[in-house]
Amino acid sequence: MTIIPQGARSTWNSLPPVARTAIPAVLLMALAIAGPQLASGPTGWLPITTLVFCAVYALFSMGLNIVVGYAGLLDLGYVAFFLFGAYVAAWLMSDFWYTRSIHILDAAHKVIDPTTHQPVSAQGIHLSFWIVMVVAALVAAIGGVIIGWPTLRLKSDYLALVTLGFGEILPEVFRNADFRTVSNPDALNLTNGTKGIGPLDPIGNGFLRHLTNGVIPKAVTPSDYRAKYYIILIFVVLFVYVSIKLRGGKLGRAWLAIREDELAASLMGVPLMRTKLWSYAIGAAAGGFAGTFYATTVGIVNVDTFIFSFSIIILCAVILGGMGNVWGAIVGGVVITWFNYTGLVWIGEKMNSALGTKVKLKDYEFGFFGMILVLMMLFRPQGLIPAARQKQVQELERQIEQQEVVPT
Amino acid sequence: MTSAVAARGGRLAKLGLVNSVGLVFVGLGIAWLIWNIVDGPRLFARLLVGGLSNGALFALIALGYTMVYGIIELINFAHGDLFMLGAVMGAIMLEQWFGQTKSSPTGWILLAVAMLGAMAFCAAVNVVIERFAYRRLRNAPKLAPLITAVGVSFILQNIGIRINGSAPHSRTSVLPTKEISVGGVGIRVAYIVVIAITVPLLLFMTWLVQKTKIGKAMRATAQDRDAARLMGIDVDKIISFTFALGGALAGAAGMLFVEVNRRTSYDLGFRLGLIAFTAAVLGGVGNLLGAVIGGVFIGVIQALNDGAPHGLGQEWTQTVMFSILILMIIFRPGGLFGKHAQEKV
Amino acid sequence: MNGDILLDAREVTVQFGGLTAVNAVDFQIPTGAIVALIGPNGAGKTTFFNVLTGLYTPTAGAVFFDGRSVVGLAPHRIAAMGMARTFQNIRLFGAMTAAENVMVAMHPHLKSGVTSTILRLPKQRREEKAARERATELLDYVGIGGTDEEFAKNLPYGDQRRLEVARALALRPKLLLLDEPTAGMNPQESAAFTSFVRRVRDDMQLTVLLIEHDMKVVMGVSEHITVLEYGAKIAEGSAADIRSNPRVIEAYLGKAATEGVG
Repeated sequence: MTIIPQGARSTWNSLPPVARTAIPAVLLMALAIAGPQLASGPTGWLPITTLVFCAVYALFSMGLNIVVGYAGLLDLGYVAFFLFGAYVAAWLMSDFWYTRSIHILDAAHKVIDPTTHQPVSAQGIHLSFWIVMVVAALVAAIGGVIIGWPTLRLKSDYLALVTLGFGEILPEVFRNADFRTVSNPDALNLTNGTKGIGPLDPIGNGFLRHLTNGVIPKAVTPSDYRAKYYIILIFVVLFVYVSIKLRGGKLGRAWLAIREDELAASLMGVPLMRTKLWSYAIGAAAGGFAGTFYATTVGIVNVDTFIFSFSIIILCAVILGGMGNVWGAIVGGVVITWFNYTGLVWIGEKMNSALGTKVKLKDYEFGFFGMILVLMMLFRPQGLIPAARQKQVQELERQIEQQEVVPT
Repeated sequence: MTSAVAARGGRLAKLGLVNSVGLVFVGLGIAWLIWNIVDGPRLFARLLVGGLSNGALFALIALGYTMVYGIIELINFAHGDLFMLGAVMGAIMLEQWFGQTKSSPTGWILLAVAMLGAMAFCAAVNVVIERFAYRRLRNAPKLAPLITAVGVSFILQNIGIRINGSAPHSRTSVLPTKEISVGGVGIRVAYIVVIAITVPLLLFMTWLVQKTKIGKAMRATAQDRDAARLMGIDVDKIISFTFALGGALAGAAGMLFVEVNRRTSYDLGFRLGLIAFTAAVLGGVGNLLGAVIGGVFIGVIQALNDGAPHGLGQEWTQTVMFSILILMIIFRPGGLFGKHAQEKV
Repeated sequence: MNGDILLDAREVTVQFGGLTAVNAVDFQIPTGAIVALIGPNGAGKTTFFNVLTGLYTPTAGAVFFDGRSVVGLAPHRIAAMGMARTFQNIRLFGAMTAAENVMVAMHPHLKSGVTSTILRLPKQRREEKAARERATELLDYVGIGGTDEEFAKNLPYGDQRRLEVARALALRPKLLLLDEPTAGMNPQESAAFTSFVRRVRDDMQLTVLLIEHDMKVVMGVSEHITVLEYGAKIAEGSAADIRSNPRVIEAYLGKAATEGVG
């Protein structure tokens, strides 16, 4: 079963590789830049808030694409890197560490000192958003290497299980990392437990403000979703570039070789552990970036918002778009997020008013995502987007259909 | 494939290190156990019984996991959710269809009926899942059926949300709430009932797998699917049968769970399912007896962690369980009783 | 270079549980030679290959490649040292093009890191260009020139076998291990392959070890033949020696056959 007709596909495949990369790139860029124009009001089909989340999840999706799509490692605990990114932001952009006062190029609000009635710098550690993004990516990457080091030698099913385990443990650790009690109010507190940390500082634009002589405000106001959208877009574009560059080079080939046939890859000189760890590190960095941005967008960091199904939803996005296809990852991320935040509700309402039914579609979101995974695997494992690397997977489809053994 | 490369054990010194670290953890575990016994022997005994009862349930679920993994090398992520559906359907059958909400002889008889109903339901669901979601992907690269299993898990959870609601639902039970006293230690009758039902069930399973023709066919298919086919075994039927058995066990565990714990929630399966899988790994995935022992072991550890003087408390249970899983998989993927076989390339 | 023995395997033994797949095999390959390892099915030949390439650790014994012990080294290190192989059942990277398959094996020789790849530093670009050109050369050399952008999975069987050789050659090997390279070939193809092996050895200045069942190929190209049966070495020598060795004939055809042979 295929969606794009044969004629169109063979025309596409006959285009030179440069065109096959450039055309989707240009189309997506155009769409992306026009995004906020297409956005509707808060109750419409595409609220600007959803658009921002779509971009964030596109970044998550591209990160997981490196791990699952390129290197073929089924990581079901990707939420870990989201957590790292978000909590790094919480620690470095809020009043949480109130016994200290460290400010580096930040955009934190001033507070009024009760005795002098003068504005003073807030307590806590406040670093510039841009610095924090880099720090968070590094922390996430290191976290990825630490998680990966003992687990990447495992078979695919055990790896899936262990990463799922990490994805369960880490939220619980962050939730419990507040040991203060009535009798022990000075105990260690790393996360404020279920109360969460907030509010987070806004994104600072100091540099741009100087450049434009004060036209651009000093900081992005929390309600300015347009600005937030363009900022995350910068990171999305950067990561697309990184993704493509790596895929076209030595590391990308090594990843794909591992995905296709790990044994043969090692016999051809590919160092397995090192290569897999790199995929984890880079995928984690993307998660860290996106996690930090998400935290600053939402304004607070509370572990209970990191629903356990996050890892599965991102997996859904990667599968939908096509594993190993950076454009597919973006489209998958956008589509899945749209359904998750707006689509299910919006379609449900339209359907109800058209058919007179009273169905709350959002109640079926688990089943919806589950169905996507199952149907995609059964009928179109290569994803919705026609990638250049089509034929091999069509062959796989044909073989599954005819119950032939697939050579591994 | 990976184990051939990794299980080379070529770095012989490293293998020694891995084993010694593993032994250190085991040693710490035993020390913790003894510490708890010493600091509260009565409490320990009480918790032990509870742990054995829960462990029996974990054993049933773990057995289902391990049977399926043994025969098609697939970790059925959706298995735990089957357990959840068994609990929910069993509770609905007993409470609403049969109207039994209190402990009574009629209640107990109808409990048996409801349990069989739950078992049949879960067996049927599992067979349907295998037929439509997994069968086509039997020869596909490993990633595909794994991802599909995750998808099925989500679908089942949604069904759970629809039937049970998205919040935990409290249920009634026909099991007596009283405790009996053994040597000064209070023991819930409900726990004894669970153990009394589970043990024969497990014995029946052992007999089925070891002594019957169909059990032999199952073991043959698990060892070498193609050879079994050549011997005239209808492999598809045997696999379906295995899924049905696993489902039935999950259904039984679900019914018993809800009778003892009096609540159901849609994510019960996901959480407990993974704990049960830890048990299966502990016993050596594919090893039926190991799954049972692993289940009991995990049940006891969970009970101790929740309630013993030196347990970390309920909020750390997931972490403890998954840490055990992760440590097992890393240091002893073959389980406590498993063998470390080198794969032929 | 350690004198003129490139590969020196001593008393190599491999046991899987109760089964002894390889039993105290001694095996030496002189530099620049083309040698063959033959024996009935299940004799342990591929297992022995797997020991050499680092996939299995032998239960006992030692293996020296180019003077260095390789037992316990990870396969990618042994590959980087110059030991390349092809497979009995083709193991190409199906989702990659032929050129990319070949370029994977250049991994140990490519020096660019992640940062220089992302920043497109001139050194990395030059290296990639050279790699690409070398891949094209190798594809031409093995006779499948022009298939650079074809996906490996789509190539016909014969071309896939050649691609595997091209990929192995990309490792700049000192020792090339070929595992049943003529399986599925007709007599003309096998004959062409025989001369190809000699050409590769001469052009690339390497040493070749083959596992083969096709006796014409074996006799036609090997300078030295070793015979395994049930994991143990039962004979070795030149083609003439082996052809008339009753123990070898018995291993292949059973005891009755030796009674009929003079």
